[in-house]
Amino acid sequence: MRALVLAAGRGTGLYPFTDTRPKAMLPVAGEKLLDSALEKLRAAGVTDVVMVVGHCADKIINYFSGGAEHGMSIQYVRQNDPTDIRDAIRCARDHFQSGEGFLLVYADVLTSGNIYRHVIQTFGSFNQPVAAICHTPQAQNFGTVYLDADMRINRLVEKPSEKEVGNYVLAGVFVMPYKLFDLLEDHEMDESLNEIISSTGLRSAIWEEPWLDAQRPWDLLKGNQMVMRTWTEARVSGTVQLRGAVQFRGPVWIESEVVIESGASIFGPCFIGKGSFLGNGVLVRPNTSVGAGCTIGFGVELKNCILLDKVRVGRLSYIGDSVVGEGAYIGSGTLTVNHNLDRTEISLPLKDGMVKSGSDKLGAFIGDGAHVGASNTLAAGAVVAPGQVVPHRYTYPGEGV
Amino acid sequence: MCGIAGMVASSNVARKLFSSIAALEYRGYDSCGMAVQMNGHIDVRKNIGTVEKVNQNERLTDMKGLAGIAHTRWATHGGVTRENAHPHMDTQGRVAVVHNGIISNYRELRDRLRAAGAVFLSETDSEVIAHLIGEYLDRLGGDVEAAFVSALREMEGAFSLAVISTKAPGYIYCAKRESPLIIGLGDDANYIGSDFNAFIEFTRQAVIMDDGEYAIVSRQGYVVKELLSQDVVNKEVTEIEWDVEMSRRGGYPHYMLKEIYDQPATIQATLKIPREGLESLARMIHESRQCFLGGVGTTYYIAAMGQYFFSKFAGSYLSAISTDEFPLLAKPGPEDCLIAISQSGETYDTLTAVRHAKAGGGRTGAIVNVMGSSLIRAVDVPILQGSGPEICVISTKAAMSQAAVLLLTAFELGKITGRIGEAEVLRYRDEVSSLSVVLSDTLNERSGFLHTAASKHQNMKNWLYLGRGVYYPAALECALKMKEVTYLHAEGMSAGFLKHGTISLIDENMNTIVLMPPPEEEELHTLTRSSAEEVRARGGFVLGFRFEGDEGVEGLFSEEIVLPRVSSVLAPFVHLVAGQLLAYFLAVQLKRDVDRPRSLAKSVTVA
Repeated sequence: MRALVLAAGRGTGLYPFTDTRPKAMLPVAGEKLLDSALEKLRAAGVTDVVMVVGHCADKIINYFSGGAEHGMSIQYVRQNDPTDIRDAIRCARDHFQSGEGFLLVYADVLTSGNIYRHVIQTFGSFNQPVAAICHTPQAQNFGTVYLDADMRINRLVEKPSEKEVGNYVLAGVFVMPYKLFDLLEDHEMDESLNEIISSTGLRSAIWEEPWLDAQRPWDLLKGNQMVMRTWTEARVSGTVQLRGAVQFRGPVWIESEVVIESGASIFGPCFIGKGSFLGNGVLVRPNTSVGAGCTIGFGVELKNCILLDKVRVGRLSYIGDSVVGEGAYIGSGTLTVNHNLDRTEISLPLKDGMVKSGSDKLGAFIGDGAHVGASNTLAAGAVVAPGQVVPHRYTYPGEGV
Repeated sequence: MCGIAGMVASSNVARKLFSSIAALEYRGYDSCGMAVQMNGHIDVRKNIGTVEKVNQNERLTDMKGLAGIAHTRWATHGGVTRENAHPHMDTQGRVAVVHNGIISNYRELRDRLRAAGAVFLSETDSEVIAHLIGEYLDRLGGDVEAAFVSALREMEGAFSLAVISTKAPGYIYCAKRESPLIIGLGDDANYIGSDFNAFIEFTRQAVIMDDGEYAIVSRQGYVVKELLSQDVVNKEVTEIEWDVEMSRRGGYPHYMLKEIYDQPATIQATLKIPREGLESLARMIHESRQCFLGGVGTTYYIAAMGQYFFSKFAGSYLSAISTDEFPLLAKPGPEDCLIAISQSGETYDTLTAVRHAKAGGGRTGAIVNVMGSSLIRAVDVPILQGSGPEICVISTKAAMSQAAVLLLTAFELGKITGRIGEAEVLRYRDEVSSLSVVLSDTLNERSGFLHTAASKHQNMKNWLYLGRGVYYPAALECALKMKEVTYLHAEGMSAGFLKHGTISLIDENMNTIVLMPPPEEEELHTLTRSSAEEVRARGGFVLGFRFEGDEGVEGLFSEEIVLPRVSSVLAPFVHLVAGQLLAYFLAVQLKRDVDRPRSLAKSVTVA
């Protein structure tokens, strides 16, 4: 079966990380969401992929090109105005043949376990269109469904009311008939699915393993934990250089050409990307994911955080419950504070105003290429825009420059 | 639901055909049989019991022939007897048939065929098919296809069926109308089955038949035709991507979830139990000096719920008793009766209790799911609950139905004792009927909240369930579900009992679940509320299961699951579903063997 992978989305809710890249290129546990999706597709036997790209399309095309490195063939379709799923699917119509059923994949969905295999097996078993469904505490953000006793979906609610947020939600993976393209000519996505429900029927595939569709920057940390929780053993590349006594504990994943100076303590689950450098006395605590080519200075503490590629963190800094964008520079002695003293819920200034995080423990979210000067103390829930410069903070003789 | 299998091959089919019905056993397991054709003769072997047991007694795998059909049965009407098991034959032994579904006009057909000399051996509608085809064989000079088609055109109802005949060696004739039927294509054999499980061991090439089609299958090939026009239909051959276990579970990740989702239909099936049966049971209770409700495990808790129904609707006190203790405690005499509850009807402790009651001269009744079971045969007044096969070791839908049977019986007893009139019985029965919709809403709209609660509290090792009145045994049952499937410590207790000792356990290592009655039960509501307050006052975490529109509980719980608003008659049933889902989701998160929890068996047939 061929797959239609939708990777055009802008992911506005994930500011400050999606102005500069497609949502599907965000990394979780050392792997880009799209990398993880394609790997699982291939494991499920899908090697022929049509991918709709839009926002920052070239980042995807340059990274995956024809797909040979992933053992698959990828054809790209450009969506000019990537706001709408309906339009995204319609763009790909010419790449499918009349009568051809296909696997429809929202590329930014993260699962532990292979949801694609599960959906394809369900289709094979019932020979009927299939929609994967799951439970999530954030059901209000997704289409929800009603099931009959035979696990067929008998109604779909695109925007659930308060009453419908206890339902199973659409998990972003489907097997769809070619007819979907026809239906989308005149109907919205939810209407088209309802039409399929009333004609051929729509079978649900209940997904019970962890699942996440990141809507907000802190969801990346949840995804990181979700994946790392499944790690059971350490994986350290043979090309890693340990320059002195370095302590490892738990499932520590370290990629090739990483250099670690003496006195570092690395506690898994955690991930250190290719070619990164960890200075003397660095403390890496669980659920940390360091991208490729990062430089972590002397005495830095990292905890429950994601650093994208090529991040530099100066000595004696603390990064916790935070996400740091690609190429960002964190000056020496920077502290991310991760709670308010009164333990109130932390809100973040995002593009759509102050947004409640639902958590009382959260650090900073720092965009790509931002510079945070030395000695800064970032408030819980601080957001630094991509490329923004936060001056050094001097206590003598005064204002920083 | 029944299962059909068949195959035509170049070598003996008996072993493969046997493994086909073994693979279909999940569709029903009260009796089975096979018909195999060899040298102008059809050999039929069948009996009651599991596929394995029938093979031991009838030696199905020793049969010989190149074409055969087989059947595994879950009786819906007609007793579980050897005669009623499939395959069925015509009087002259030329036609054997297996059938899944209902022939709705079988009475007229049977009367006509009887008048013409056919000898019927069973009580089933299925046997009519064999005799009808036999009659047409006589009329049409032995043309099997013509006889088959003529017979089909006369039959009304929803079914699938398969036929072999001595007049057409090496062929299977089969037809589909609203019940499933699939053809499998192998290298030197072809197959038919109710679903892919019948032949997935042998081939992955399949042709899926549609309603109103029939097919003729031989070793070399097959042809599918439309029944009305007899035109040949060109069918697509499907390559089956097939997960055997998934298909058996109807796509559900576990039988337990499937059976939880079956419950709205289970309630409707329960309402179809003839009222005369429930009335006889109620009359037996009424005429007895003392009536015991006996069960063990879940069925004991269901019996305990029943006590409250009988008290509320009939003003009668029946005593629920765990059947393992019954012989040690009760000395039932000729004026007493025991009503035993068992899904399988084979539970050792419960059968022993029934024998004990009978030995004292007492009368007996039973509420049982498996037709033809020992318990059904042992008692004076059996009620067959008709919940369909329950595969998960942990009882959900069968228990739900048993509770509903007791409720419906309480209405009948209320009518006998003069507490309520016929009009009220009908009104209450309507209310029970509406439970299907409520349960369906609960499953669809509330499961996510229970899933979230399960994720959030998956590290909690101790759970205390509290309830008062009928919610007390409901709490016991919810706690048992939790224990059985999650292996965590859970206990149920009457909320009033709590402060007489157990409350000393309340700390951060114990979560309490409070089954809140609807606000219309004012006294119970107030009492239950104060129990929740007692737990919270000691720093305990309380998860409330409460109903929509209950304003009196604002701020009472640490967290709450809001259930759809229902009357007090239905409320405990909705709590049961919430308890099932919470236990299920927690078990899935903890990666337990949900359908076969450690150390448990579906039917405990030992002391």
